[in-house]
Amino acid sequence: MKKTLMSALAIGVTLIATSPAVLAVDPEKDRQNFVEFFKAKSPNIAFEDYKDGGYVYSADKRAQWEAVEEFPPYLDSIDAGQALYEKDKAVYEKCFGKDPSNVRQHYPYFDEKTKQVVTLEWAINLCRTEAGLEPFKYKKGDIANLSAYFGYQSRGEKVAVKIESDAAREAYNKGRDLFIKPVGQLGLSCAKCHAYNAGRYARADLLSPALGHTTHFPVFRAKWQELGTLHRRYGGCHQNMRAEPFKAQSEEYRNLEFFQAYTSNGLEINAPGYRQ
Amino acid sequence: MNSKMKQLLTAFAMSCTVMTASVGVQADELAEGKKLAFDRSKGNCLACHMAGDGAQPGNIGPALIAMKLRYPDKQKLYNKVWGTDDAMKVPNSMMPEFGSHGILSDDEIRKIVDYIYTL
Ligand code: HEC
Ligand code: HEC
Repeated sequence: MKKTLMSALAIGVTLIATSPAVLAVDPEKDRQNFVEFFKAKSPNIAFEDYKDGGYVYSADKRAQWEAVEEFPPYLDSIDAGQALYEKDKAVYEKCFGKDPSNVRQHYPYFDEKTKQVVTLEWAINLCRTEAGLEPFKYKKGDIANLSAYFGYQSRGEKVAVKIESDAAREAYNKGRDLFIKPVGQLGLSCAKCHAYNAGRYARADLLSPALGHTTHFPVFRAKWQELGTLHRRYGGCHQNMRAEPFKAQSEEYRNLEFFQAYTSNGLEINAPGYRQ
Repeated sequence: MNSKMKQLLTAFAMSCTVMTASVGVQADELAEGKKLAFDRSKGNCLACHMAGDGAQPGNIGPALIAMKLRYPDKQKLYNKVWGTDDAMKVPNSMMPEFGSHGILSDDEIRKIVDYIYTL
């Protein structure tokens, strides 16, 4: 079982390399394979629990994490996010509607008009620039605080990304491609760490499962001592792979997020999160 | 140097390197090999392997122990770490190809292999 699923993921690489991305895989079947892969790997972990990242693999680390989450260090950031929201409330209401708890669960989505994946952070800056406000920087600070505020309001809602056109399927496949293909000097891929070796240790770091990667971002990392966005983390992982990182909110990372969020469909949003 | 060319050149050099090295390895060379193996910006073997007394090893790859027993032919061990075409390949392996990808020099790999051969 496990073997076949692993090769299913791997076969995708050759397919993608030789055929147009649209034809490569059917996202819904692919997502189910992805979920099955993790189920076969760890039969005792419930699907819902994958919102908790690497902590599904270690009772000790989970206990420490739960203790931190009782008085989490990101509360001030959520307050700061709320203050930002209130400050330009009229602008945000025009873009996102009047209910800030009904925002995060609609992102990322594929915009059929512009043929682009729209992430929450990207949408926030589009909204700001349209209203003549300065865009935020993408990796930390205001953007992370505001995103955390929206995420916190939507806790308990579920990831529900839709793919309803060939163009959206292509974006998914491009993201998937980026996830699976080995790159950089070390010849690593996201899949090698976060699928094939999820649950193992790289030195003292417990490798988290890719399933659920997007549910809890932005994340307050002990190492950063502040909130950082998902794309900041992508850049960090690419750097560790000795590969050239893409820019935060580049088309590449938006597609990657689209792929990761789609494969996490059905999991609860629990942003922001705390991570070691 | 581009890596294709490097690969060609080292293919020649390789067999000689290991042969001469295996005759007798100096203690300070072994210490250097250990340092290269553990250094995060060099071999960083501990990221994935238990090796000697290295602190906080990962468990992505198998423990590097009893290497002499498992690799009677030391050249095979060198080839695995270097990543030659005829070395053992495992699908989707995390094991970097230190030589073919130009991560370490042939001499650095030789020193690392000399060191892990003592484990
Ligand atoms: C060499 C191993 C390695 C590779 C390759 C790698 N990562 Fe990571 N990644 C880590 C480690 C270690 C962490 C921190 C522990 C954890 O949460 O997994 C991490 C964390 C993450 C997180 C945060 C998880 C959380 O719950 O906070 C995301 C998201 C992520 N990686 C995505 C990716 C993506 C996408 C790629 C490919 C572009 C990638 N990683 C490649 C090792 C790797
Ligand atoms: C990013 C992870 C990673 C790093 C770093 C790494 N390895 Fe590996 N290594 C693996 C994995 C996974 C395997 C098992 C699969 C395979 O053989 O390719 C492996 C296999 C091996 C093997 C063959 C298996 C055995 O025990 O006989 C040797 C020898 C080896 N590694 C040596 C090293 C040395 C020496 C270094 C450092 C210079 C190193 N590795 C760095 C992941 C890694």
